[in-house]
Amino acid sequence: MNIKKFGAKHLLNTVGAFLIAAPALVMAAATPGEKAPEFSEVDAAGKTHNLADYKGQWLVLEWFNKDCPYVKKHYGSGNMQALQEKYTGQDINWLTVISSAKGKQGYLEPAQALEVAESHNLHASAPFLLDSDGSMGRAYGAKTTPHMFIINPEGQVVYAGAIDDNDSANPAVIADSANYVAAALDASMAGDAIAVASSRAYGCSVKY
Amino acid sequence: MLTRTLPNKTFYRSLLWLVYFCAAVSVSQAQAQDTASGDHVRVRWLAPEQFGPATETIGFYFDVDPGWHVYWRNAGDSGAAPRFDFVGASGEVGEIQWPSPVRLPIEHLTNLGYEDDVAYLFSVTPDAPRMELVVNLEWLVCKVDCIPGYGNMSLSREVADKAQWLPQDLALRDRFAAQIPDAATPDNFPWAVQRVSAGAEQGTLQLELTAANGGSLVSPPEIFPLDGGLLTAKAPQVEQSGNTILYTFERVPGAPLLPAASPTTGFVISDGTRAWQLDNLEIQTASVSVPLAVDGSQPLWLLILAAIAGGAILNLMPCVFPVLSIKLFGLMGPGTSAQERVKSGVLYGAGVLVTFALLGGLLLALRAGGAAIGWGFQLQSAPVVLALILLFWLMALSFSGVYEFGHRLMNLAGHSRGGSFATGVLAVFVAAPCTGPFMGAALGAATLLPTASAMAIFIGLGIGLALPFVLLCLFPVLLQRLPQPGPWMETLRQFLAFPLYATVIWLLWVLGRLVGEDGWLLGSLVMLGVVLALWLAQHLQRFGKLFAWLSVLAVIVLGLSGANFLQEQRAQPVAAARTTAEGWQPYDRIAIGEALTRGQGVFIDYTAAWCITCQVNKKLVLDTDEVAALFAKNKVYLVRADWTDQNPVITRALAELGRNSVPVYAWYAPGEKSPVLLPQILQTSMIEALFASETE
Repeated sequence: MNIKKFGAKHLLNTVGAFLIAAPALVMAAATPGEKAPEFSEVDAAGKTHNLADYKGQWLVLEWFNKDCPYVKKHYGSGNMQALQEKYTGQDINWLTVISSAKGKQGYLEPAQALEVAESHNLHASAPFLLDSDGSMGRAYGAKTTPHMFIINPEGQVVYAGAIDDNDSANPAVIADSANYVAAALDASMAGDAIAVASSRAYGCSVKY
Repeated sequence: MLTRTLPNKTFYRSLLWLVYFCAAVSVSQAQAQDTASGDHVRVRWLAPEQFGPATETIGFYFDVDPGWHVYWRNAGDSGAAPRFDFVGASGEVGEIQWPSPVRLPIEHLTNLGYEDDVAYLFSVTPDAPRMELVVNLEWLVCKVDCIPGYGNMSLSREVADKAQWLPQDLALRDRFAAQIPDAATPDNFPWAVQRVSAGAEQGTLQLELTAANGGSLVSPPEIFPLDGGLLTAKAPQVEQSGNTILYTFERVPGAPLLPAASPTTGFVISDGTRAWQLDNLEIQTASVSVPLAVDGSQPLWLLILAAIAGGAILNLMPCVFPVLSIKLFGLMGPGTSAQERVKSGVLYGAGVLVTFALLGGLLLALRAGGAAIGWGFQLQSAPVVLALILLFWLMALSFSGVYEFGHRLMNLAGHSRGGSFATGVLAVFVAAPCTGPFMGAALGAATLLPTASAMAIFIGLGIGLALPFVLLCLFPVLLQRLPQPGPWMETLRQFLAFPLYATVIWLLWVLGRLVGEDGWLLGSLVMLGVVLALWLAQHLQRFGKLFAWLSVLAVIVLGLSGANFLQEQRAQPVAAARTTAEGWQPYDRIAIGEALTRGQGVFIDYTAAWCITCQVNKKLVLDTDEVAALFAKNKVYLVRADWTDQNPVITRALAELGRNSVPVYAWYAPGEKSPVLLPQILQTSMIEALFASETE
């Protein structure tokens, strides 16, 4: 009887593991040290962006949802735009991605997205990439807004994770936070190794 | 971490004054600060109406709307833990204590936190006539969408001779206090951590627990990682076999193990009613796990070549030698044609290969089933050992000419096809405890490799074992070099009985180690019974003969079931109970880890009663006064990992070293996390060399 019980349990475990594993197969991830997943997305202005377009150049990816308090923390304070402005000024590409599905929080139609880009004073290299089917977000394993990735000119991910080391929603903490993205980009530009290449991405869940 | 270091006492006093002042100016405002609230959350104090002089555990009680949740210290894949920023206190304030959380699957993510309500607790010790606290709070409440909340709460209660709680508040406090994890100690923690390892498989981390005291494991406890930067919050994959539970966590992509030199991590474990915290568990990394031996990058053909070489060397081992000599002896007998020799050779080879294939299949099937076993396991079974004792005893008696049966057995073994096949089977079984160095590495690899490759290694071993004999049969030229049959054969046969007697004695000793002193008695009585029955059979008439033969059968059946019974009686962990020689500790992963962290050198002797090489090394090297003094002088932590019984923990430790046989001698120099493996044949000078290089 025990054996039978164990067998049934084992079967359930196996089935359970498969069910858990199945979405994981769909949910890939951009991993520091590995090649960045391909993507092909249309931005709010109708232009298509592929990973291949950025070969030989640095690229920062940022996941965005205008209603997320953590996005508001970094946009309301001007912190994110300042970073965008600083690094696009150094010929680093910066793409801001919206993976919210239609009907979910943060979803924007192209026209709305252009307005939000305007009102948020977005300084990215393109108006928002509209990934409403979530394909790009899932390929990268984007979990939160903001979730940040840095891709080097060889097409490898060199940083994945949070924007900084303070997961408070309070904009007042930004001044005292260590910005992982800026640190990684500055180190790379100076030819140094990146000290922190991975961190727990804090924020709101991406609304796939 | 989240509670800020409190300013000095002068600051408290002035702050206290300020608090009094504010309270006096606006009582209503101070009372309003008794609580805080935001969207979907109401926060209030969980504190006594009146404090006593002693330390009191109080808390922030969060009442959360249905469907919404707040967070644990590690919030999981998204979200954030609440923050409690104490800006003033008239007393000592401890760290925030976090009740053990639940997993909250939120769409594609998993968060760690609390639904409905929770109390974040901390201890305070008053040192003023009133207990005053001023705290800035920040929290995040989420359903799918998240809403941050901010608040400012103050507490002002009288301090008198005795604490007075509202009963319902005290009950709430106690309910959550019971969920605060205790630091796990061997006394209070019902499991034992066998290992935490970042496997060869990138992106996972495994934690293995065993139930202490053979405790039942109806449902495996829930485990939550403390470090959200290293592990995702997704429920780990749980595999349970016997009293062992293996949790496989998913790592945050690219997250490094920190600190790089000796990475550690921590967990909270909850059985639903109680919780324990394990801090700074050492993470074994893949590079530590597979030191000198085989790793996956070695090409398969090299492994198979090593397996063939290892198998060939087995022919020279004392356990195999007697069996092969019986066989060769048979082939040298008069009237054996070249054709028969070829046939014998082929059949012997087939016997060896089929047995290896079957054993390989069995091992792989068991491996697939999750059973942790290893090579030599057939000698961990008392009935199998007793059966071998009888077999060798009968063979030895017949070699000595005590009984004619020997000639028939010889005829059987020497001339019939089945005989050659059986010899092959026998050769494999008795060769097991004599695994040579090559065989150890190859078998170690076999336990780790994919099924097809592992099977190839088994077959390789078989080919190696069979090869010399088969060659001898295929090329009669080699056989003709052997002397012609003659009276010397009788002498040789009698002489060959002695290695068999020696084997019987050794197997009796193994039996004794397996089932205790009764093993000797049982084994000897069965041997006596068999000899007596044989003698009777020789001297009795027809029915008497039949009776004698039936007695032999009865003795054997009784003996085997007796051995089985004795072993089951001792099913308790024998290895642990078995006292080790002075200074040697039984295998305990945690103790070894502690010794390594202390910077102590660690020497592990992986041994088993049925391993002759192990016993020889023990007597000639390890247990000598000279070596003992050397170990003592260098304060080495000595571990004797006894693998006589099926001990999955030691089997796994061996597998991590890339080995699946004993002896293995692992030396961890002080401060080193990866071991050096010593040769299987030890010499005192090798131990001396360990310390000589150290002083340089």
